[in-house]
Amino acid sequence: MKIKYLLPILAAAGFVFAIYTVIKGNKPIPVAPAVAEPASAPFKLFIAGSGIIEPKSRNIAIGTPLPGIVKTLSVKVGDKVKIKTPLFYLDDRDTQAELAVKRADLAKAQAAINEAQASRKDTQSLSDLAEAVTDRRAISSEELLRRRNALQISTAKLKSAEAQVQQAEAAVLSTQTTLARLVVQSPIEGEILQVNIRPGEFAPAGTLNTPLLVLGNLDQLYVRVDIDENDAWRFDKNSKAVAFLRGNRNFKVDLTPAYVEPFVVPKKSLTGDSTERVDTRVLQALYSFERSQLPVYVGQQMDVFIESRDSSGNEGTGL
Amino acid sequence: MNHIALKMLMGDKGKYFGIVMGLTFASLIMTQQPAIFLGLMSRSYSFISDVGLPDIWVMDSKVQFVDDIKPLQDTELYRVRGISGVEWAMPMYKGLLKARLTDGTFQTCNVIGLDDATLIGGPPLMLDGKLEDLRRSDGVIVDIDGARDKLGKPSLIPGGQPVALKVGDSLELNDHRAIIVGIAKVTRTFQSQPVVYTTYSRAKSYAPRERKLLSFVMVKAKQGQDPAELTRRIRDNTGLAAYTQAEFMTLTYEYFMHNTGIPINFGISVLLGFIVGAAIAGQTFYNFTLENLRQFGVLKAMGTSNWTLLRMILLQAVLVGSTGYGLGVGLTALFGYLMRHSILAFKFPWQLLLFSGTGVSLICVFAALISIFKVIRLEPAIVFKG
Repeated sequence: MKIKYLLPILAAAGFVFAIYTVIKGNKPIPVAPAVAEPASAPFKLFIAGSGIIEPKSRNIAIGTPLPGIVKTLSVKVGDKVKIKTPLFYLDDRDTQAELAVKRADLAKAQAAINEAQASRKDTQSLSDLAEAVTDRRAISSEELLRRRNALQISTAKLKSAEAQVQQAEAAVLSTQTTLARLVVQSPIEGEILQVNIRPGEFAPAGTLNTPLLVLGNLDQLYVRVDIDENDAWRFDKNSKAVAFLRGNRNFKVDLTPAYVEPFVVPKKSLTGDSTERVDTRVLQALYSFERSQLPVYVGQQMDVFIESRDSSGNEGTGL
Repeated sequence: MNHIALKMLMGDKGKYFGIVMGLTFASLIMTQQPAIFLGLMSRSYSFISDVGLPDIWVMDSKVQFVDDIKPLQDTELYRVRGISGVEWAMPMYKGLLKARLTDGTFQTCNVIGLDDATLIGGPPLMLDGKLEDLRRSDGVIVDIDGARDKLGKPSLIPGGQPVALKVGDSLELNDHRAIIVGIAKVTRTFQSQPVVYTTYSRAKSYAPRERKLLSFVMVKAKQGQDPAELTRRIRDNTGLAAYTQAEFMTLTYEYFMHNTGIPINFGISVLLGFIVGAAIAGQTFYNFTLENLRQFGVLKAMGTSNWTLLRMILLQAVLVGSTGYGLGVGLTALFGYLMRHSILAFKFPWQLLLFSGTGVSLICVFAALISIFKVIRLEPAIVFKG
């Protein structure tokens, strides 16, 4: 081939290659699909909020009236408990010992009564003898006075001994109450949701960051919806609401309004972090739902949409 | 006549090559430099174009470009979600965090936190592992360029290439343990930092303690909803800035245009290419016409019309022009092809073909014009002179 034609041929090839590069180099970037389709509101105008599942009884963080080492734990997670079912026992050895001492004190006090009674009987008979003498000259008035006084003293001693018994009995009862307080019982009928103590651990009394036990009645679940204070004016508690399970939007349920807490609380970022941050204040509305419709657990988060009225209106709903 | 014109042009191979080469280089510079420029600029917003699913990006109203993060409160997500016309709204964390590598060095990474449930906004292409694997504890996905290079483990041979990270390796992100569960391919960004994808809640635990950590809210408009109308509604209702994907790309691009020297530098290069190309090609073409003036004179003396001569010159100009143009764009494409695996930014859209085509055409018209004036004013008698 002649060299003079080489250049135009090369040029044509170059142009074709450039067009190929243009076409190949400008293909659209593939779009990463969503792993789970996000939930979307079924209403035209709506408020969105995050909800958290809780039992109707709320989550009861069981505390102990007395601090102490846990001796035995009589329930495990998932156990259904009735009212007054013992949940765990605290170490009671010292209280038991104290009870023995108190009982011995009671026995001693009771023995003292017998002694006082005998003594009174003695003084009574002596006094009776003296009183029975009809001839006043047969007995000196001093002797008579002494015997009467002796009777009064012994009567007072008997009363005192009886009071001592009452005191000892009360002491025994008090120790028995302390003993009863070392057994922590269920305040409601419900299910054990969480157990954070084990035998041998120290259970402190007071408010704890990690509750000793969490108890709740799961017969009816509520979803607690946080509504941003900026959206609170649009909220109508009687309007329709739908909750979607996170991770699969096919699980959705219609909500029935239960109640609204008329107290706006600081919202915490639901990070589960120990230092949760306060972002803004939120109105909390509670909704109930048919439990059989959703495979949910207590504490799970849900995406909730609440229908709202025309957002341009400027009249809110009175609570 | 056309035959004569071609013979005239290609007769002197040296001159012919000279003209074509001049135009080739002009065309090469006018294509390759803007291609690099466009490549660089497209990298400024490549993160936005990589996240294809959302239509609208919501952010603080003072955000100037994609890497200018001004975080929002977490509750803004729900406010945006509650605006009518929003199909869904998802949070995204984007921030620079330090990763500590096995050899003790630190590397700043671009950490992207995706919504925990849906993982919307993930990398466009997974090379290893699945996006769902992010749900595993401490799971992160790194981009292949970062895994190979900046985050790579030290080479076994001193001075050798770093060993690429694989699925199962671990990283230390801001003192937290992170396990690599996937390798992704992402478009390079302007700063070319390694990209680490993880879930939103995990990204928040990696990030240093701050009150606000939500970088963007990504919004999908409901079907039939006009995005422009929706962005306006989001702006009015929340006071935040809302941009469609294209608007956000433009915002970022404009920031780089106005605040960096890149456009001026490349603009000068392109202009120089044009001037040098015009000078060389114009001069060579003019010289060539001058040398062939005798032949044109003979043709004119034989009664050839000015119109025919003009057509001959135009034919010559078009031929050298298109040859030079074809070679130039071909070389540019070849350059891009050879550099496709390197760090070089290169983007060759069809508009660029038109741009350099116009440039080369201008040079040819300029060169042809000065020659045409000479030939038209030519006296046929010149043939018989001297």
